[in-house]
Amino acid sequence: MIPAAWIALFAPLGGVLVITLLGQRISRFHAGLVASGSTLVSFVCSLIAFLALLDESPGERTHYSTLWTWLSAGDLEFGAEILVDPLSVFMMLVVSGVGFLILSYAVGYMHGDPEERRYHAYKAFFVFSMLLLVQSGNLLLLLAGWGLVGLSSYLLINYWHIRATAVAAGKKAFVMNAIGDATFALALFLLIQRAGSLDFRVVFQEGIAEKSSAVAVLIALGLLGGAVAKSAQIPLHTWLPDAMEGPTPVSALIHAATMVTAGVYLIARTHVLFELAPAIQHLAGILGAMTILVAGLIALVQTDIKRVIAYSTMSQIGYMFVAVGLGAYGAGLFHLMTHAFFKALLFMAAGIVIHALSDEQDIRRMGGLARRLPFTYRAFLVGALALAAVPPFAGFFSKDSILGSAANAGTLGWALWGVAAFGAFLTALYTFRLLFIVFWGELSAFAREHLHAPGFGGLAMAWPVGVLTILAAVGGFLQVPWGWALVDDWLHPVAESAEEATGITFTFSVVATTALALAGIALAWRIWARTDPLPGRLRRRYPWAARTLEEKFYFDAAYDHAFYEPSARSAALALQYVEEPLLLRSLGELGRGVRSLSGRLSAVQTGSVRSYALALGAGAAVIALVFLLVS
Amino acid sequence: MAGPSAAAYLVVSVLLFATGAFGVLIRRSPLIILLALEIMLNAGNLALLAFSRHAGNGDGQIFALTVMVVAAAEAVVGLGLIVAVSRQRVELDVDRLTSLRG
Repeated sequence: MIPAAWIALFAPLGGVLVITLLGQRISRFHAGLVASGSTLVSFVCSLIAFLALLDESPGERTHYSTLWTWLSAGDLEFGAEILVDPLSVFMMLVVSGVGFLILSYAVGYMHGDPEERRYHAYKAFFVFSMLLLVQSGNLLLLLAGWGLVGLSSYLLINYWHIRATAVAAGKKAFVMNAIGDATFALALFLLIQRAGSLDFRVVFQEGIAEKSSAVAVLIALGLLGGAVAKSAQIPLHTWLPDAMEGPTPVSALIHAATMVTAGVYLIARTHVLFELAPAIQHLAGILGAMTILVAGLIALVQTDIKRVIAYSTMSQIGYMFVAVGLGAYGAGLFHLMTHAFFKALLFMAAGIVIHALSDEQDIRRMGGLARRLPFTYRAFLVGALALAAVPPFAGFFSKDSILGSAANAGTLGWALWGVAAFGAFLTALYTFRLLFIVFWGELSAFAREHLHAPGFGGLAMAWPVGVLTILAAVGGFLQVPWGWALVDDWLHPVAESAEEATGITFTFSVVATTALALAGIALAWRIWARTDPLPGRLRRRYPWAARTLEEKFYFDAAYDHAFYEPSARSAALALQYVEEPLLLRSLGELGRGVRSLSGRLSAVQTGSVRSYALALGAGAAVIALVFLLVS
Repeated sequence: MAGPSAAAYLVVSVLLFATGAFGVLIRRSPLIILLALEIMLNAGNLALLAFSRHAGNGDGQIFALTVMVVAAAEAVVGLGLIVAVSRQRVELDVDRLTSLRG
């Protein structure tokens, strides 16, 4: 089991090395196969590790393995150490499994791109980074994986490096994530000071800090900062929609298998530390609820097919934050898994649409595609139903698991429940808005002109979508209310989940949210399937509201005013009053001075060997004399 | 210990060194300069051996061996340079080889 876990970790890295070192000697198509094949190896090894763990009794399913001492400084020692336990194996299965499907899809999607090899290498590297993050056995290695995930997302978001917007989006993602990385690192410093180690076994012991003491709060706050940045929650969420500049499979990878789920994983992994600071844990839930609301509202007015799905990711991650914020780790990770299925599915289906329409992403130019792309339509429909949490699709079970836990968590739980239930309504509304606009109605003029049959990529892109369609349809049956709770039971040894509501409360929660979701679908149908004038009327009556949504609640503008503009202005001032007069001119002067001096000095270099020899001898004689005199 | 005293060896060594240094300074042919350099190095070797014998241990001999290695390497490089220069059909005269003047 341990070797399998190590192979699972390093297989994608091996794929990266093969693609990089062989360079032009393998075809672009084969580079794609190497990348997806290496993640398949990972997935198989993760399965082996999973089956091996399954054979053991729940209490013994924790294994650490250290290959070598990675870093040592004074008393601190950090090993290249992995942890194989239910939580990490669960994440490994999701990351490598969904990652494999996405990488296979990318072989078809990126076919013909001039820099395909680089792309496939980055993707495999992304999967490796994420596996390192979820498998690491101490917090420092986790931080390394954390940073590598940020790096690979940066590389992939600005993969089309000749597009200025893509480069800007990549930088934005990197900077936003760097803020989170910094707070994460600060939390680790505090932990080192407290516990003298970053080993999970030491850090998660009892008595690292007093409950709710300042130290505990600061540690949890730092970890939360990292999680919020990586998982694109308010207030560090602005990079995620811009990250849509990358190729569609990248969006699928970032949103489904890797990256944004890292924050949820971190909170679940370090839940012991969060439970020492309940206020901060609740803050995670509150931020999640805010994100559900804000992202859901913004998604209603977006016109870019990928951005709508991106905002829906933010809001779904918000649900996971609500869950882990209330201690329902099983429910949160269950939603993480089903979300990986249907979000990858939605992105891939959207990718097929974008491909078929010659890279058009504006939904206003789409329409009536259901008859022309029937397979894609059905896949998208399943994904949308799962996202809107309609029974019996995957999202229904996981979302209701979260809402059921919220309903059992006191006043705060009920408040979050209310927001999340309204979020379920919004989710159904914006998801089916997308579906109706893109697939229903008459074929749009643009589509009539540009729609073309998928070429080579068609089949390569279709089969991963098919697999995910099935997973999104039935993936929820892992955990059925009143039936069984496989995910909760599996994760129980690592993170004991809070009790879910039972009986009448739970029934109410399920019925209410399902009704809200169905109402959302009905409203979407009324408005966008029949071109109701309602949105136009609302827009005219409340122009400020429409503007607020289109400006994405002014987060970007606020950050520009608060951070970008002051620094740009002070930099301009410094350039004008400091750099120009002091540095630039004085540098010229310095250069001229050195040149004239050295011109004079160069007369010493006669080029005659004998004069050099004499100088050498004379110098030695002088030194000898000095020594003699001094001694 | 039989034989001349260390001082006698040192006198010879100084004489040899002076000869070598003089040769380096006044001769114009690079080949001869190289030879004179070898004489200087060997003067040093002689001094080292004399001290070694005087002190009664082998340290100086080890140094002398090292100097010999350096001398061999230096001869290889120096002769190589001289051959390379003569291939250019330039007269072998160090006073004329001044193209490195600053």
